[in-house]
Amino acid sequence: MDRDGAPVLVVEGVAKTFGAGELAVHALKPATFSVAPGELAALLGPSGSGKSTLLLSISLILEPSAGRIAVNGQEVYRDGWTGIDVRRFRRENIGFIFQSHNLIPFLTAQENVALMLQLNGIGAREATRRAREILDYLEIGHRAGALPANLSGGEQQRVAIGRALANSPPLILADEPTAALDTDRGTKVMGLLRKIARERRSAVIAVTHDRRMIEGFDTVYYLEDGRLSRTSQGAAAAH
Amino acid sequence: MDLAVKDIRRHLGKFVATIVGVGLLLTIVLVMNGIYQGNIADGVWLIENTATDLWVVERGRGGPFNESSRIPADAHKSVAATPGVAQASPFVAYAAQRELGGASQQFTIIGYDVFGGLGGPGRIVQGRAIRAAHYEMVADAKLGLALGERVQLGRNVHTVVGITREAVDSGGNPLVYLSLPDAQDVQYEQDNRAREAARAASLKKLERAGYTAEQAAKLLPLLAAATDNVNAVLVKLAPGADPAAVSRHVQDWLHFNVYTTAEERSLMLEGRLRRMSGVLGLFRSLLVVVSIVIIALIVYVLTIEKIKSIATLKLIGAPNRVIVRLIMEQSLALTVASFAFAYLLTGVVEPRFPRTLLFLPQETAATFGVMLAGGVVASLMAIWHALRTPPQLALGG
Repeated sequence: MDRDGAPVLVVEGVAKTFGAGELAVHALKPATFSVAPGELAALLGPSGSGKSTLLLSISLILEPSAGRIAVNGQEVYRDGWTGIDVRRFRRENIGFIFQSHNLIPFLTAQENVALMLQLNGIGAREATRRAREILDYLEIGHRAGALPANLSGGEQQRVAIGRALANSPPLILADEPTAALDTDRGTKVMGLLRKIARERRSAVIAVTHDRRMIEGFDTVYYLEDGRLSRTSQGAAAAH
Repeated sequence: MDLAVKDIRRHLGKFVATIVGVGLLLTIVLVMNGIYQGNIADGVWLIENTATDLWVVERGRGGPFNESSRIPADAHKSVAATPGVAQASPFVAYAAQRELGGASQQFTIIGYDVFGGLGGPGRIVQGRAIRAAHYEMVADAKLGLALGERVQLGRNVHTVVGITREAVDSGGNPLVYLSLPDAQDVQYEQDNRAREAARAASLKKLERAGYTAEQAAKLLPLLAAATDNVNAVLVKLAPGADPAAVSRHVQDWLHFNVYTTAEERSLMLEGRLRRMSGVLGLFRSLLVVVSIVIIALIVYVLTIEKIKSIATLKLIGAPNRVIVRLIMEQSLALTVASFAFAYLLTGVVEPRFPRTLLFLPQETAATFGVMLAGGVVASLMAIWHALRTPPQLALGG
């Protein structure tokens, strides 16, 4: 594991409270952690533990109530958004992988990946070429022209991973990436995420409750009642 | 990447089916426009296509089309003697229903002075005008009669010598032109048995009044209903004559009502046509509203179907313009393609439609504009909904 260099994600005292006064719900108590380039981190916890709140905060979708978030060296939140164009920042710096893949159903596998590139200003021809390269890298180039409906769950997840890493983002966030897959396919996807983290030096954070996959992570964070704790290295956490 | 085009291409069958559905609805809207304008055009066709300056009718009547009007047949001679009148001709017009060409058909018979009088057919597309005093007729093509065909009207057989096109009465029924005496003959024709019964009834009345049978027989013709009335006198003014002055003179001295062609047209529009135009106009408005609502719903549903994709696009950082373009392009494509389909279909429907359809280009353009505006408003609603969609909708299973 190569984790040299400044952290890709820095989270310091990030908290989220819904409501106020007696009705206040502290969905996320002040959480602090960082993820280095090439690191594969898991956010583990039961339903309602605050996993989604933390993921949405890191994704720059949900504004935290307090704390500080920096992505790829740029401070994006310090007790308030720092004035960046969050959607553009997300597009350029964060890749997303979803539980149900969320491929655009009317675009082919290659077009789904190319879309991400084109959104970042890459020309259509170049985007198509690079999309094919990425699909080949993920060993699914032979299915480039297939629509999502004609792909298996595992194939769809690979295409989704391809879309997430199309712009070579420093941070990839995955929401239950293996939940919809059987063990074999889930293991393959985990292998792929690890490969991406190692070879592309992207930091990968996956929200999961799939204990089958914990071994593959470098770091496992555990959330319970909104409180974040670092449990151990992945292999240890699995047992 | 044009997401709207990609989506349409992937769901081409569904999109085409939607266009056909909406297009059929818009066809009904356009046909309704055509019926509405056709109803008005038919209603005033005879008035506008009878080359006359003034219509002289029975006093106190709104005739000859909105209300029955009977004036003596020789009244045109008195009218002709009025200062400022260049020509005056007798004119009759009445509805008839007869077996023609193997089918029962309703039409209007126009009787006019065939020897240079006013009120004759103006749109002969085949054959010629009536030249003989009797037993010739000019019929509209809608009746399906052929040149040279012999038609029984009343007690006599008439030969079709001319065919007109789109010569219709206010109800859209075709016109048949006859010479004035022929038209009167058909108008007052009586079955022999009916004639005998009427004669017997009149004789009985006279005998009851104390007349002898011989006296009653002599008086009988005086009791018979007049059969030489006309419905109107058509007037052509002398060059430079003041229509108001001529009208005043005819009204004051001959005791008839006089209408200019414009007034006759207003009588028709505000009388017979008003209720039907109102009904058709209401239907037309309702259809436009229904069409806009349906287009809006389809655009909205098309957007809702893609709401998870839209949430995903927002989550992965797609700018709003990508989402706006996706929705707006599809909405416009749907509206424009549906309207184009409807426009083409009305061209197919028009010649086969049983009533006159009149499509005014500016009205068709206005309808297109309204539909387009409806589509834009619908897409703005859909865009509003899409832009409010939280990106986190893309998360979770």
